[in-house]
Amino acid sequence: MIALRRVPWALPAALFLILAAINAILQPSFVKPAVVVSNLGTFLPLAIISVGQTYVILGGGIDLSLGAIVSLVNVVVVGVVEGMGASSWALTAGIAAGLGTGLACGTLNGVLLGVLRLQPIVTTFATSIVFGGLAIWVRPEAGGSLPDAYFEGYSGTVLGVFPVPVLILLAVLGSAALLSRTRFYTYLLATGGGLQAAFQTGLPVPRVKIASHVLAGLFAAVAALCVLGETAAGDPLMGQAFTLTSVSAVVLGCTSLSGGAGTVVGSVLGAIIIGLINNVIFFAKLPFVYQSMVQGLIILAALAGGVLVTRR
Amino acid sequence: MQAVGVAKRFGGVVALSHGDFDLARGEVHVLMGSNGCGKSTLCKIVAGALAADAGEVRVGGRVTSFAGPAGARAAGIATVYQETSLIPTLSVVDNIVLGGERLSRFGLIDQKSRRARAMALLNGVGRELAAGIAPDALVSELGVDQRQAVEILKVLSQDSRILVFDESTSSLDRAQVAAFFGLVRALKAEGRSIVFISHRMDEVFAIGDRVTVVRNGVTVARRTIAETTRDEIIEDMVGTGATTIFARTRRPREAAVVMAAHNLTGARFRDASFALHRGEILGLGGLHGQGQSDLLLALFGAVPATGGTVEIGAKPANLNSPRAGMAAGLAYISGDRGRAGAFAVRPIMENLAIATLSRGHIWWLRPAALRARLTPVLARLRLKFPGFAAPISALSGGNQQKVIVGRWLVTDAKILLLDDPTKGIDIQAKRDLYALLEELCADGAAVILYSSEDVELLGNADRVLVFNSGRVVAELAGEQLTERHLNAAALAA
Repeated sequence: MIALRRVPWALPAALFLILAAINAILQPSFVKPAVVVSNLGTFLPLAIISVGQTYVILGGGIDLSLGAIVSLVNVVVVGVVEGMGASSWALTAGIAAGLGTGLACGTLNGVLLGVLRLQPIVTTFATSIVFGGLAIWVRPEAGGSLPDAYFEGYSGTVLGVFPVPVLILLAVLGSAALLSRTRFYTYLLATGGGLQAAFQTGLPVPRVKIASHVLAGLFAAVAALCVLGETAAGDPLMGQAFTLTSVSAVVLGCTSLSGGAGTVVGSVLGAIIIGLINNVIFFAKLPFVYQSMVQGLIILAALAGGVLVTRR
Repeated sequence: MQAVGVAKRFGGVVALSHGDFDLARGEVHVLMGSNGCGKSTLCKIVAGALAADAGEVRVGGRVTSFAGPAGARAAGIATVYQETSLIPTLSVVDNIVLGGERLSRFGLIDQKSRRARAMALLNGVGRELAAGIAPDALVSELGVDQRQAVEILKVLSQDSRILVFDESTSSLDRAQVAAFFGLVRALKAEGRSIVFISHRMDEVFAIGDRVTVVRNGVTVARRTIAETTRDEIIEDMVGTGATTIFARTRRPREAAVVMAAHNLTGARFRDASFALHRGEILGLGGLHGQGQSDLLLALFGAVPATGGTVEIGAKPANLNSPRAGMAAGLAYISGDRGRAGAFAVRPIMENLAIATLSRGHIWWLRPAALRARLTPVLARLRLKFPGFAAPISALSGGNQQKVIVGRWLVTDAKILLLDDPTKGIDIQAKRDLYALLEELCADGAAVILYSSEDVELLGNADRVLVFNSGRVVAELAGEQLTERHLNAAALAA
C-alpha cells in the first residue's frame, strides 16, 4: 500500500489502460496517430480545467465557477476578435483579452476566499452566476465566429510534425512540473493539509489561496481558447458542464477533496478517463437516452472503487 | 526577555491576573503550576500566540507586541507546540523546513538545500531523538512521539534565540526524553534561552536552571533549581491556605453500588477498577490527558473498551454505543460544548429535548406537551433565558452547559459522566452547577467527575482516583483530599 500511496495516480493509470483497450476494440482506428491527436484535442479543455481545479482543491478549497469562466472567456475572445475586424492583431488581442478575463475572474475568487475568508462552495457558486451572467450580457445568444486561421492553427502542426494539442498538453504538464518545485506549491499543500498548522508556522495563507484561484482562472482561460480551437464559435453557455466534470476528474485522479494531497498528473488522467468513457459509450452504439446515465454510473463506480482501495 | 504584570481574560474568566517571567541568555527556565493556574496562558503570551490585556513583554530591553505567530518568529521566538503545527500530508523533510525554504537562482525551491538542512538536523543534534524516523515518511504515518520529535526539529530549523517547549516531553518515552535533554543542553551551550514547561518533577530537576511557579493566575515564586527542593515547589504550587471555595457537604457513603468497573482497558487507559455508590461523586484527577476523558467516553460507549467489564446495578452491561449507554441510564456531559454538546444554532428547547427524543418512541412532536415537561427542568437549572425558541448560542457558556445538563435531567439519567464540565464558564454558573450536582446526588444519582481544575475536583468529589499515564495510581478520600496529596500523587513518576 505504501507503494500505491507514493504513486497516487497508479489507480487512474490502470483504469485508463483498461478503457483505452476497450475503446481500441470497439473502434479499431483508435490507435491511429490522427485519431489519437483528434481525441486529445477533444479531451484537452477538460484536462486543462482539471489542472486548475487541482490547485484549488489541493489548497483545501473548491472552485465551482470555472465552467462559467470558460463561457465568459469564450464570448470575450469572439467579441474582441469580431470587434477588431480585419486588423492583423485581432487574434492576438482576442487571446490576450481572454487570458486577462480568466486572470481577473480568478483574482476575484481568490480575494473573496483568501482575504475575506468566505465559504468556498457558496462563494464560487455565486461568482459563477455573476460570470455566467456577464457572458450572456456580452453575447445573449450563441453566434459569431473566429477566422478560419484560428481553427486551422489548433488542428495543425508546428514544424510539420508536432500537433498543436499535443504541444499545449506538454506545455501544461511542463508548467505544472515547474510549479511543483516552487515555494508556493509547498505552501499550498501545507495550507490544504492543515490550515491551522500552516498559519501557526507563519505561512502567508491568504496569498497562497489567492494564487491558487488565479492559477485556476488562468487555466480555465487557456481551456476556453482550446474549446474555441474546436468550435471557433461564440457561445455564452458552452462552459457550464465543465465545472462539476472537472471536480470528478480531480477526484478520479486520486486528489483528496479535503486538500493537501494529490497530483496534477492524476487529474489529467482523470480528465482523459472521462473522455474515454464518453468515447466508449458512443462507439458501443448505446441509445442516446442511456448515455448520460451510463457515464454517471461508470464515474460513480470508478470513484467508489478508488475510495475503497485507498481506505484499506 | 522579560514579562511584567501580564494579564489575560477570556470572556468573564480571568486566566492570568499578574504574570511575571524573565528569561536570561543561555538558561533553561521551567514554568510550573497546577492545572488551570494560568501557566499556559502566560506561556502563550510570552510566545506571541496571545496578546496580553495588561502588562508588557520586553525582548532585549524593548517593549514588544507580536502580530501573531509570524511576528514572534521574526523576533526570534519559536514555540514547540504539542504536535499541532505539523502538516500531516507533508513529509518529515518538508515539515521541518516549512516556511524557511531557500530558493535557487530560478526562483524554485532549492531541493538539495532543503533536504540537506533537514538531514543535518535529523542526523546531527536530533540523531537520537529522531531515531527511526524516515525522512520521506508522511507525518500522518508517524506515532505521537515521533511527531513530537519532528516538531522539535522543525522549531530548531528556525535558528531562534528563544525556544519555548510546551510539555514537549509528555509524549516522549524515557530514551527520547534523555535525547531531548542532550539537545537542550547543546542549545544552551550555544547561548540560546529555553522556556520549558513540564509536570514531571524529575525532569525539572534534571534540566532546569530556574523555576517560576504560577498559582491562580499569579506568579508566586521564582527559584533557582539548585537551591530548592521538590517539597518547596509543590508548596508554591498549592499554597498554604488551601482554598476550597466549593466545599460540599459530604454525606456518609451509601452501600448500594450503581456502577462497577473491573480492569477496564482502552486505547489510553489500563486496568481501571472502581465501584460507584449511590449518591456519590467520584472524582478522576491527575494531570491533563492521562486517560480520564477516555475512560468516561468508554463508560458511555462512545469509544470501545478493549478489555475488562462494567456492571450497572450489579448486572453486566455491554456498552458498545452511546445509545446503549443512554439506555442503561448514563449521561455524558463534556466541557467541550462546541464539539460534543451544544447544537449551536438550534433552539434551547430542542437542545434540552434531544436526548429524550431519541429514547422514547415518539413519532409526532407536540411542542405544548414538551414545553410542559421541560419547564420544571429549566426552573431547577436556575436558568435565565430569552425564550424557548432562542438558539442555545445566544446563552453564555455557563448557561449553555446548564441546558446540556438539563438535557439529561429530562431523561432521568442515574449516572452522570462529567468530562471537565466547567471548562471556560464563569464562577456563578459553576456554583449553580455544583449545587445542582449536590441536589442530584441527594436524590440518588451518582456522578463521575473529571476536572482539569484541582480545586473543583477536591471541592466536589467524595473520592478521587488519581491517573498517571492511563493508570490509577492513587485513591484519595477524606483527609487526603487536599491539593498537596493530589499533586504529589499526580506528579510521582
